[in-house]
Amino acid sequence: MVVSEIPPINITARNTRIIPFEYEYYEPRSLKEVLELLDRYGDQARILAGGTDLLVKMKARLVEPRVVINVKKIDGLRYIVEDGEQVRIGALTRLRDVENSELVKKYIPALHDAVKSMGSIQIRNMATIGGNLCNASPAADTAPPLLVHNAKVVLSSVGGDRVLPLAEFFKGPGLTMLKPNELLREIIVEKSIAGSSAFKKVSRVAVDLAIASAAVYVEVEDGFIRNARIALGSVAPKPLRAVKTESLLRGLRIDSREVLNALKTIDEEISPITDVRSTAEYRRYASKVLVLDALEVAYARLKGGVHG
Amino acid sequence: MDAWDKALGRAMFTEDYYVDYLLANALFIKQVLSPMPHARIKKIDASRALSISGVHGVFTASSIPGENQVGYAIPDQPLIAEGKVRYAGELVALVAASDFDKAIRGAEEVVVDYEPLPALLDPLEAMERRDVLVHEERGSNIAFQTRVRKGNVEEGFSKAHVVVENEYRLHHQEHAYLETEAALAIPESEGRVTVIGALQYPHLGQKIVSRVLGVPMSKVKIVAPYIGGGFGGKDDEGPLTCAKAALVAYLTGRPAFILYSREDSIRVHPKREAAVIRYKSGVDAGGKLTAIEVTIIHDTGAYANRGPFILWRATMHASGPYEVPNAKVDGYAVYTNKVYQGSFRGFGNLSIQFAVERQMDLLAEKLGLDPVEFRLRNILREGSYTLTSQLLDHSVGVGEALKRVAEKADWWRKRREIEEFNKSSERFKRGIGVAVAWHGISTSRAVPDWSNAYVKVELDGSVTVYTGIVEMGQGSPTSSHVQIVSEILGVPVDKVKVVFATTEAPDSGATHASRGTGIGGLGVLVAAAKIRERLASLAGRVLGVDPGELEFKDGRVYSRRDPSKSISWRDLVREAYARGVEVSATGYYYLPKGRFDESTGQGFAYPAYSYIVLVTEVEVDTRTGLVRVLRVYPGLASGKIINPKQVEGQIEGAIAQAIGYTLMEYLYFDEYGRVLNANFTDYVIPTPKDIPEIEKPVYVEDKFRHGAFGAKGVGEMALIPGPASIANAVAHALGVNITSTPLTPWRLLEYIKRSPRG
Ligand SMILES: Cc1cc2nc3c(=O)[nH]c(=O)nc-3n(C[C@H](O)[C@H](O)[C@H](O)COP(=O)(O)OP(=O)(O)OC[C@H]3O[C@@H](n4cnc5c(N)ncnc54)[C@H](O)[C@@H]3O)c2cc1C
Repeated sequence: MVVSEIPPINITARNTRIIPFEYEYYEPRSLKEVLELLDRYGDQARILAGGTDLLVKMKARLVEPRVVINVKKIDGLRYIVEDGEQVRIGALTRLRDVENSELVKKYIPALHDAVKSMGSIQIRNMATIGGNLCNASPAADTAPPLLVHNAKVVLSSVGGDRVLPLAEFFKGPGLTMLKPNELLREIIVEKSIAGSSAFKKVSRVAVDLAIASAAVYVEVEDGFIRNARIALGSVAPKPLRAVKTESLLRGLRIDSREVLNALKTIDEEISPITDVRSTAEYRRYASKVLVLDALEVAYARLKGGVHG
Repeated sequence: MDAWDKALGRAMFTEDYYVDYLLANALFIKQVLSPMPHARIKKIDASRALSISGVHGVFTASSIPGENQVGYAIPDQPLIAEGKVRYAGELVALVAASDFDKAIRGAEEVVVDYEPLPALLDPLEAMERRDVLVHEERGSNIAFQTRVRKGNVEEGFSKAHVVVENEYRLHHQEHAYLETEAALAIPESEGRVTVIGALQYPHLGQKIVSRVLGVPMSKVKIVAPYIGGGFGGKDDEGPLTCAKAALVAYLTGRPAFILYSREDSIRVHPKREAAVIRYKSGVDAGGKLTAIEVTIIHDTGAYANRGPFILWRATMHASGPYEVPNAKVDGYAVYTNKVYQGSFRGFGNLSIQFAVERQMDLLAEKLGLDPVEFRLRNILREGSYTLTSQLLDHSVGVGEALKRVAEKADWWRKRREIEEFNKSSERFKRGIGVAVAWHGISTSRAVPDWSNAYVKVELDGSVTVYTGIVEMGQGSPTSSHVQIVSEILGVPVDKVKVVFATTEAPDSGATHASRGTGIGGLGVLVAAAKIRERLASLAGRVLGVDPGELEFKDGRVYSRRDPSKSISWRDLVREAYARGVEVSATGYYYLPKGRFDESTGQGFAYPAYSYIVLVTEVEVDTRTGLVRVLRVYPGLASGKIINPKQVEGQIEGAIAQAIGYTLMEYLYFDEYGRVLNANFTDYVIPTPKDIPEIEKPVYVEDKFRHGAFGAKGVGEMALIPGPASIANAVAHALGVNITSTPLTPWRLLEYIKRSPRG
């Protein structure tokens, strides 16, 4: 079917009346159709995946797209597969699938931790991993684990694919490198083979966005840190890697006081704000506690011999 | 009378409601809210809004045909702002349109020209200011004052061995009911109007609507369907919601529907009051309280609403459930330019019991006494005089409840074990805390309180009950009332139907103040008893026995002495219809009350008190500052427990709200007094995962003479000492003095930093 033949579905007359404006609604059946629609409507359109971010924003009129493209009816973008040293995850994979995946538990343990902590089961059954990244909240919980696992994102448009490191994908709150006609199609994640990883967060209630979060990937040899990667959420305009702190950790005894000292450098790498979830000061403080806790868990996983 | 309407085709038949009224005619209402905390309204220009096709009208204060006055305690509050606005979120105009989207667009196009006035946000400042007044006509920002003068406090403190003095700060709370405010008003012939709305007291809605429209109350009918949670919020905002819809319906002659968005709901409706409480208490060497001196300041916000009653309740409960010989209590409800305070489960009592119960722990610590033991030495008992010198002659089970809950929780052993655990655990600290509270049931002082209901037995023996008590999840009309009738008439519960929440029933009072079952049920009980008496005398004649020996049970009426002399309930009812015995009755009960002297705050405060005990265990992560409530042991002394399942539901829900209030919830205001977190992403309430194990309650059934079957009240109870018992547990865990809420992680870390042990 070519784009001009895809009729908009009139749901605004029948909806719950809580989204107070009219929009055109599409339910394309293939990736090709999605990309054609995106190409046609560009920044007038919004992708609807799980809708757990988008609908909240539409209700509050923070975004008022003229066109909504529901991508959940298309096949082929919901998968978690092993590919050599990597795991590939389709953008429409539900958080609940990620949570239940043995591959993720084994090779991307920090992501398993993160997804388990997100929303409620009802939300996780709806929400997609791609939606979490494209929504680009500084609090997006899948971001820190994917960052420490050197994830890359595959962006597709009618013109073809391009691949970006996830670290370059985020621009700021709600902002990404996606072009108006692009779709996030896949996430490529490095397995933890030599090391292990973990994720920690603090939030106000059990089902909640993070006040602060941290993911750590660590490789340890004879009790010394050979390699460490740290990523932090909710403490800057976007999820970020704490590269300076990472480099200071290299070579330290994992259970030494020097680790505590090195973590002080986190202060220089973050720029938290005070808002209705927390104070900037608490976020600064909590980041360090979370990194320390995550290091402890990741190290325990390593010692346990299992990478999960 | 109705001949003209019928002749002209104006009379409404069922289908007309659907086709003409709802489908084609209904108007949707959106509120225009003030963005300013305090400003004069210079001009309201609705022309642009009215030019939008589908927008049918914009209604302001000047559109109101009756009185623009809805203040419950003090006549200080308009339905729609007039002349000036007093908080960000105040209603300025109603826009009615043919659908929601258009109403919303219309509301955005109403241009209001404001002249800003200085805004007062801090009650302590507002109390002192004379140059800026929230209500000029009242001459002061102090809306209402209360006092208690009992004995001689100087003398009391001079006998004290230990004195503890603190300032406590408690914050606002949002009701967060699932269903936001809503009402559908249907205009009818002869200027009558019917409103279906979410409110806790249909007869109050009737009064407010009649006042605003300027029509007699008899022309206003109000019905509340099932309500998606009230917690007091729909006691205040419910009648106003009905009035907003009724006004548009009345002025346009079309059905009008209002449904608050979550954001509007949080901005508009009253909140649990924020309070500053200064509390000094003294205790003698024997561990008996000698005196208290208390100042209570409530941030009442823009309007008094029920603030005076809330402050009054806080004041008269300021001793906690303890004997206090000397007391001086002063209460102030202070206007500020913030969303106003209102009814919320616990009604002013939560904050004062927080202060009382923190004081009790601190006094016990200074005396070297166990907190439970110290409380027991001072606890109210039969024969005690309350803070207001009211004699408690019966129904005082609090001491026993405290003892039994402590035993059940294994208090003394656990306290020791936890202290041992904390010595060896560096990061995680545990604590166990107790808090006790009392709560006056029904309205205060000599304010009349009554119960009224109508019961009729149908020809087939089934029973219909009419009451104004509403159903908002608590189940008093749909189950307790049913049980009462079933018990008295001996008919199975499935034969009893309660028509609830309607002004067609006699005024049964509000469903608030934990009175729905204990007091609300009395009218039902009296009416059912009248019918039973008549039918007993009939059955006596039919069976040839003395009516006094008759038993009404399981659909039969029989002689206790000779059960073979029996008649089925159904046949008896048929007999009654045949022989001219009336089988319908109204039941009315007026609660006896006593005298109260406002100048000294002494006298009869409440007809009865319910009591509650909570023991709470917590664990604190001293690194992240997060508190986890591990277990709660509740105990109630609230008279007869009519329906244990429902009572457990009430206790569990209240504890969840207490956990939310103490650890998570907080209303953020910006520098203009605007609520910053007016949605559920930013204002969070506990989720099922945050709620701990709640043990089966201990019940001490200290029956109350004037309650249905001896019931007092349960609905509000467990929320009242909840925050105090959590704070006491956290204080026990950390060895710090907690004087404010909420205990967010960053605040807790502050406490830990300041702690002597930390
Ligand atoms: C109650 C609740 C609790 C929550 N808890 C958490 C939590 O703990 N942690 C957390 O991080 N988040 C949480 N969230 C937020 C949300 O659920 C997640 O961010 C979720 O992963 C979003 O996925 P979605 O599929 O629902 O996205 P949608 O809402 O469908 O989309 C989000 C945004 O991404 C765009 N988009 C989606 N998919 C693509 C794609 N493939 N390519 C290009 N653009 C795309 C959409 O256009 C939209 O702008 C919570 C939300 C709710 C309602």
